[in-house]
Amino acid sequence: MTELEELQQLFRDAMFGDKIALSAVGNLVRPVGGLSGEEHVRIYRQTVLGTLTRSLGNIFAVTRRLVGEQFFDAMAARYIPDAPSRSPDLADYGESFPQFIREFAPAAELPYLGDVALLEWHWHRAFHAADEPPLDSEALRAAAAEDASRIVFRLPASATLLESRFPIRRIWQINQPDYHGSDQLSLDDGGERLIVWRRLANELRIDELDDDTWQLLNGIAKGQTLEQLGDGANISLLPRCAERGWLGGFDTL
Amino acid sequence: MTDTDPLATTFCPAEISGVGLGLRSQHYQDILRTRPSIPWFEVLSENYMSTGGPALHHLEQVRQHYPITLHGVGMSLGSTDELDFDYLDKLKNLIQRFEPAWVSDHLAWISTGQHYLHDLLPVPYTSAALEHIAQKIMRAQEYLGRRLLIENPSSYLCFREDEMSEWEFIAALAERADCHLLLDVNNLYVSATNQGADASEWLRLIPSGRVREIHLAGYEDKVDYLFDTHGHPVHPPVWELYAETIRAIGPRPTLIEWDTDIPSFERLMQEARTAEQTLARLAA
Repeated sequence: MTELEELQQLFRDAMFGDKIALSAVGNLVRPVGGLSGEEHVRIYRQTVLGTLTRSLGNIFAVTRRLVGEQFFDAMAARYIPDAPSRSPDLADYGESFPQFIREFAPAAELPYLGDVALLEWHWHRAFHAADEPPLDSEALRAAAAEDASRIVFRLPASATLLESRFPIRRIWQINQPDYHGSDQLSLDDGGERLIVWRRLANELRIDELDDDTWQLLNGIAKGQTLEQLGDGANISLLPRCAERGWLGGFDTL
Repeated sequence: MTDTDPLATTFCPAEISGVGLGLRSQHYQDILRTRPSIPWFEVLSENYMSTGGPALHHLEQVRQHYPITLHGVGMSLGSTDELDFDYLDKLKNLIQRFEPAWVSDHLAWISTGQHYLHDLLPVPYTSAALEHIAQKIMRAQEYLGRRLLIENPSSYLCFREDEMSEWEFIAALAERADCHLLLDVNNLYVSATNQGADASEWLRLIPSGRVREIHLAGYEDKVDYLFDTHGHPVHPPVWELYAETIRAIGPRPTLIEWDTDIPSFERLMQEARTAEQTLARLAA
C-alpha cells in the first residue's frame, strides 16, 4: 500500500466517526490560524456527512417532512457510516435507507415511514430510468395473430409494483410542497397497491391498482407468459393496462 | 423516448465566451420560455448520466439554443483507486451527445477502496502525489480523447508533508499532465485564507496559458475559516481578486456557480451582469 493510499483510507475512516483515525489524520495536518490539525479535518467530516445527508433529504423529502429536519438528519447520521456508497453517482445512494428506517427503533411510532421512504426511492429511480418507446400495438396484434400463447409482456423500464398496509400514496400526496387540498387522512383507510412509473420522458406517476390488475401486473413482473397469466389472473384487463401505459413492451418466446 | 428526436436536433456551435451560469433544474422552464441572453450554461455531468428521463429531455432542448460545458465531480483523480471506466463511458456518451466546449473535474479525491465519499477531499502536495495524479489525468484524457480542465480546490487544511504550495503543485501538475485549468477564483481565495497564504502571490504562479475558464461563487465566513458553500453572492474580496486575475491573465469565459439556496433566475442574471461589467471594464 502506498503512503497516499494509507492516508486516504485513514482519512475515510476519520470521516465516518473513527476517533483514532480522526486524531491520527489531525496529527498529519498543520495547525493554521486558530484551528488545530484535528479541527481542520473535522471541517471535511462536516462536508462529507452534509453532502450525503442533503442528498438523502432530497430523495426522501416526504420522509424528512414527516419526521422533521432534526430527526431526519440524526437518522441519516446513523445510517451513513454503515452504508458505504459504491457508485460515483450520488443519485445511486440510499437504496437501503427505507429498510434501515423500518428497523430504526426511534421511528417505530410511525410504522408507515419505511413504506413511504420506499415509495420515494422508487419515484426517484423512475425519474432516472431509461427512456423507451410506447408499446407497439401494431406489432402486438401481429404477434397475437401468430401465436398469442408465446407472448411475454414487460412492465415499463421505470415501473415498480409496491404494496403497503398503509395509505402511502395519500400520505405522499398531501406532503407535496404544492399540495393544496384537504390534509385529512386516517391510517385506517387501509392499504394500497401501487405502480410507480414514468410515462414518456417527463410524466412521473403513482397509480393505484385494483386487486385484479395488481395480480395481473405481478404475474407480468414475474415474467409469466400470456398462457400462465390466464391461469390465475384476469387477462381481459390487458387492453386497459396497455391503454394506461402499464405495459412497457413484450417479447415472444 | 423524448418528444424531440435526437437525430433531428440541431445544436448551436459549441464555443463559449462571456459570463455563463450553472444550469439548474429549477430554472429549466424560465430558460426555455424566455431564452435569456446568457452566452452559455455549465452542466453538472453526473446529473445527466442516466439513460432517460426529464433531465436529459430538458438538456436536449437547452443545448439547441446554448453552448454548454460539462463539469463533474466523479473522476476522483486524486484517489489511489484506478479510474472508473464505467463512469468514463457515461461521460464519453454525454460528450458525444451534447458536444460541450469543455469538460472539467477537480484536483481532489472522492473515493478510496471503491468507497465513494462524494466530497472533494484534499491531496498532499508532494511530488509522489503529483506524479500519481498526473498519470491518472493523462489516462483519462487519452480515454476521452480530449484535454480536461482541472479545477483548483477549496482547501480547509494543508498536510505537514507538503513539499510545495497549492499553486506550485497545480502549475507543475498541469505541465506534467499537459491539461488545461479551470481557475476557481473563489476557491483560490478560500484556500489561501484557510492556509494562511497570500492569494495575490498564488495568482502570479498560475500558468495563464492553460486557463480556459474561470469560476466565481460565494463562500460563508465561519470566523475560524472560510467555507465554500456556493450558496451566497460573490463576496467583495473575490470580485477584487477576479479583477486582479483578469488584469494578470486576460479575459476568460467566466461562470457564476450557485448550488445551495438557489435564488431566482433573475438574481443569477444580476450576478452574471456584474461579472460582465468587470470583463468589459478591464478590456476597455
